[in-house]
Amino acid sequence: MNRTDTLPPDIELAQLLQRCAASDTAAFRALYDKTSPILFARLLRMLRRRSVAEEVLQDVFVRIWQRAAQYEMGRGRALAWMVTIARYCAIDLMRRERMTLVSDDAIAEIADESAAESGGIEKPNNFDSCIEQLNDNTRKCLTMAFVEGRSHDEIAQLTTHPLGSVKSWIRRGLLALKECLSSERQTT
Amino acid sequence: MKSANRELVDRLAAEYVLGTLRHRARRRFERWLLSPQVGALVKAWEDRLAGLEPRLTPVTPPAAVWRGIEDKLGLRKLQRRPAMRWLSIAASIIFFVAVGVFITRPPEQPQLTQKSFLQADPQTIYWRVEILGDNQELSLHVHVVHDLPPGKSHELWALPEGGGAPVSLGLMPHTGDHHRVLNAAQRAALGVSKQIAVSLEPEGGSPTGAPTGPVLLVAPLTRA
Repeated sequence: MNRTDTLPPDIELAQLLQRCAASDTAAFRALYDKTSPILFARLLRMLRRRSVAEEVLQDVFVRIWQRAAQYEMGRGRALAWMVTIARYCAIDLMRRERMTLVSDDAIAEIADESAAESGGIEKPNNFDSCIEQLNDNTRKCLTMAFVEGRSHDEIAQLTTHPLGSVKSWIRRGLLALKECLSSERQTT
Repeated sequence: MKSANRELVDRLAAEYVLGTLRHRARRRFERWLLSPQVGALVKAWEDRLAGLEPRLTPVTPPAAVWRGIEDKLGLRKLQRRPAMRWLSIAASIIFFVAVGVFITRPPEQPQLTQKSFLQADPQTIYWRVEILGDNQELSLHVHVVHDLPPGKSHELWALPEGGGAPVSLGLMPHTGDHHRVLNAAQRAALGVSKQIAVSLEPEGGSPTGAPTGPVLLVAPLTRA
């Protein structure tokens, strides 16, 4: 089954967000039903503890309801907007609680369906070819940080590479990615 | 922004979006989000790094999560089912008949606790902002109408002490007096804020949840 077929279309989510902005609670419930399993999986991937992910998911939807009016209809990418809110909520919690490596009790049930494709979120043009140009260590560090919410220290610990190397791979990787994406854009 | 600065800020924006900017550095950076240039750099990185989003198998959260959201936002009162509503009306009638109607005074209104004047100079006060109760409610009074370019809105922010991210208190009115009840996040932010600010945002308010436009006015909150 093609997963993208089962994801709610962005335009539908954008319309629901617009109705949420007008305090339509039925639209909010519909938005929750359509997107909470996606956002919950994303939070579990970062927070790795069910009880914590459940709490953060509540905060995420509280923010979505409160900020629905700030979502720009014309921008599309409603799911990307919500996933970004979820990621920042998870990072905020990790920052507040100074959460570090924790048991991975939830991680098994949220294995990637395919590491190569994004979760129904639009990728920049040529993203795949740009990310392929990075070396393996850099790509791994960027993925661990973005997907799993790992800090520099955690990445160094888990990969057993020196902290300085991890920091510099990430810094250079981000720069290379930016340059590659902008040059690809100019040539296309 | 000077180009050296721009490079540094862009690097911080990248690590902010990636998530590796942590702790105090992250909090400090969130304050910079007040600047539209910084907001644009962050947005560009959000778009770039969206390519890293993994494709995951959705996991349905337990029903208690939705109930918690309803409680936090006070939504259950808004959408109680008709049968439940009748039951609750019947219960209220029985209660009042049983105990007699002793209530002679109206419910207590929260008292004015803090106020602030958003002004460009001592002679020009644009808005008077009043905080009622324990940061429960907000009253906004328009004194002088502030210029507003087409397609823009004025948004009010609480500025938490110690570098926390600004928290939106909603859009500013341009006529008359307005009253609103604050949510838990806004109350918490006001509890640790000594200043408020008004920024210029796209119509309908900041798209990011953080100030994106120029800050037009900043004013201290003083005890009433």
